[in-house]
Amino acid sequence: MMPTQTQLLLRTLLFWAVPLLLLALPLVTNAYVQFIANSIVIFALVALGFNFVIGNLGQLAFANTALFGLGAYGSAILVNSFGLPWIVSIPLAGVAGAAGGFLASAAALRGIRLYYLAIITLAFGELMRWLYVHGKSVTGGTDGMGLPAQSLFGFSLTDDRAKFYIFLVVAVLLFKATLNILRSRVGRSVMAVRENEVATASLGIPTARIIVFAFMWSGFVVGCAGALFALHTSYVFPESFGMLHLIVSFAMVLVGGLGSVIGAVLGAAALTILPEYLRSFPGMEELFFGLIVIAVLLALPDGLASLLRKLSPIFVERYYRE
Amino acid sequence: MKTSLKILAAVLMTALPATAQDVPGVTEDSIKIGVMGPFSGNASSYSKALVGMMAYYDKVNADGGVHGRKLVAIPEDTACDPSKGLAAAKKLIHQDEVFMLHGNSCSGVAVAVRPVVEEAGLPWLVAHAVSDSISVPLARNIFHGVPTGSANGRAMAQFVLSKPDTARVAIIEHSNDWAHSYSNPARDYLSENGVTPVVELTMERGQTDATAQVLKLREQKPDFIIAAIYEAETAIFLRDLKKYGMGDIPVMGTAGTDLENTLKRVGDFDTVKNYYVIHSYVDNLDGPKLEPVRQILAEYAPDEELSTFSFVSIGSAKALVAALEAAGPDLTRDKLIAAMEGIENFETGVLSEPITWSATDHQGVKGSAVAGFVDGKPAVLRAWNTPY
Repeated sequence: MMPTQTQLLLRTLLFWAVPLLLLALPLVTNAYVQFIANSIVIFALVALGFNFVIGNLGQLAFANTALFGLGAYGSAILVNSFGLPWIVSIPLAGVAGAAGGFLASAAALRGIRLYYLAIITLAFGELMRWLYVHGKSVTGGTDGMGLPAQSLFGFSLTDDRAKFYIFLVVAVLLFKATLNILRSRVGRSVMAVRENEVATASLGIPTARIIVFAFMWSGFVVGCAGALFALHTSYVFPESFGMLHLIVSFAMVLVGGLGSVIGAVLGAAALTILPEYLRSFPGMEELFFGLIVIAVLLALPDGLASLLRKLSPIFVERYYRE
Repeated sequence: MKTSLKILAAVLMTALPATAQDVPGVTEDSIKIGVMGPFSGNASSYSKALVGMMAYYDKVNADGGVHGRKLVAIPEDTACDPSKGLAAAKKLIHQDEVFMLHGNSCSGVAVAVRPVVEEAGLPWLVAHAVSDSISVPLARNIFHGVPTGSANGRAMAQFVLSKPDTARVAIIEHSNDWAHSYSNPARDYLSENGVTPVVELTMERGQTDATAQVLKLREQKPDFIIAAIYEAETAIFLRDLKKYGMGDIPVMGTAGTDLENTLKRVGDFDTVKNYYVIHSYVDNLDGPKLEPVRQILAEYAPDEELSTFSFVSIGSAKALVAALEAAGPDLTRDKLIAAMEGIENFETGVLSEPITWSATDHQGVKGSAVAGFVDGKPAVLRAWNTPY
């Protein structure tokens, strides 16, 4: 059931009301809970960018964590080596992520799809990680790279609560931009490629360019998230961009709902909070984590977002396909 | 009048000794200690160090605790991931409100966590991770209770030069920071003693043949070889060294390799008979000097399969208990830090070197012993041909 005009208006109100309410969150959190909340915001962006390629474009590409690393290292290098303020490094990290997305899409331009594309993009991710480890003079190697304390307009950004407000603004902007893109002609073309690439091309839509664009936008979003991550942890290490993190990001997209923008937030929230609850079971966390993810996917194959869609039509995303 | 009374009350309050209620993580009968470590993930075998350490807490508690207070460990998983480690540290500090932190394997996590702990100001005794940058530059509340990378690297070179007539030293290493953390301090020590390596070679991780490196070494005729390479590659290197008739040249390895494991990998005693490794303990793991520690582990962690890591953090736990005793019954964080800075030449009975902390140096363990085969049996050595 599609939403009515009133429900659409409610949805718009809700989009702005949620971040406005979240502004009060730092008033009730301690430093630990705030750190987890900040992680959720960052991983919601990671899942949003990943979802754009695998959910909206429908390509099995796994360069996401590499692009996240490009953003994080890009930001840290711009701050440390070029003396840029961290806030300025955010869009530039996004550009670095987009450039990585362009490189990762090169294989797709050659007509490589599905499992072959998956392997090539996985290899791209490992190549990037190799560069993080071995490019010591630029990346700090296995010692990683620290980010000095940052401030904005005289306000210190060392406190997790202060960071939260910046992260929230960046996230809202990128979520809004992604929703706008999905509603635009380009966004509809992205989803048309997912439905049937040949039919889309027969309509005169340059599918190759659309694919490149989708990878680049995904890279931009994830690259910006990488810059936030650099400030969040104050330290960038190669271990943060390995295969395990890729699997967790993939799980976030699936648990939230493949192709759903709301799902990116729900998936990131669920899979960031869950391991924190499982801390009480040292040594058993991985087992419980895996079992819970399997159970959620079996019970809700369309992800947590499908629960909201059942709750009210205002959560039905216009171009979402189950 | 009321204001004057308030001021008087405030002055009297500050003059009173701190009570347990004032100090986070301390009650009349307990001290909460946050224990961070990789209890899950690829590096979870390192958590054996923390299991051993917590078994020692249990032993202390069974003996009545410290000034009547039990040591209550709150383990938190870092999965050897800096981001997860930061969450663990913030949880322990701000949610569980522990008195102090003790533990931490994985240098990457410890380095990432350092600014958070330094700012929070609670004492942190690092009991496994070795990176020097965890405790240098000096932070008032951060202490190292195991030999650091530089201490081990220097100990390697010291042992090499303790062999009479050693003049030609070669170095072979991986091209990663782990290897450099051993080889660079070793180079420094050699340089301080007027020795320049005759050749410096790289063997990459995963390499299955070392012929090229061995042939280059043969040209240089070294008296001793320093090898900062992982155990799997060490086995290959030693095999090829013997194959090309250089099996009699002694090789000094890192703490990342175990003597008997290397023998198991190679399967031939003749190949490892001249191999030596950094060994942080007073005895072989099954030796009589470590029997009391083995008993503690058997009693308080009976299901634990022992490995080299099981023992490594117990030395710092013993020093911590000594500092807690010295800090007195009115325990505060400042008193503990002061007491730790008073620990001098503390023999742990586990670590081969004593622990000394001071107000200007918090890296407590300045060296390591070496393990090698003597008369076909593993032995702990202080220097060449000198038993520990």
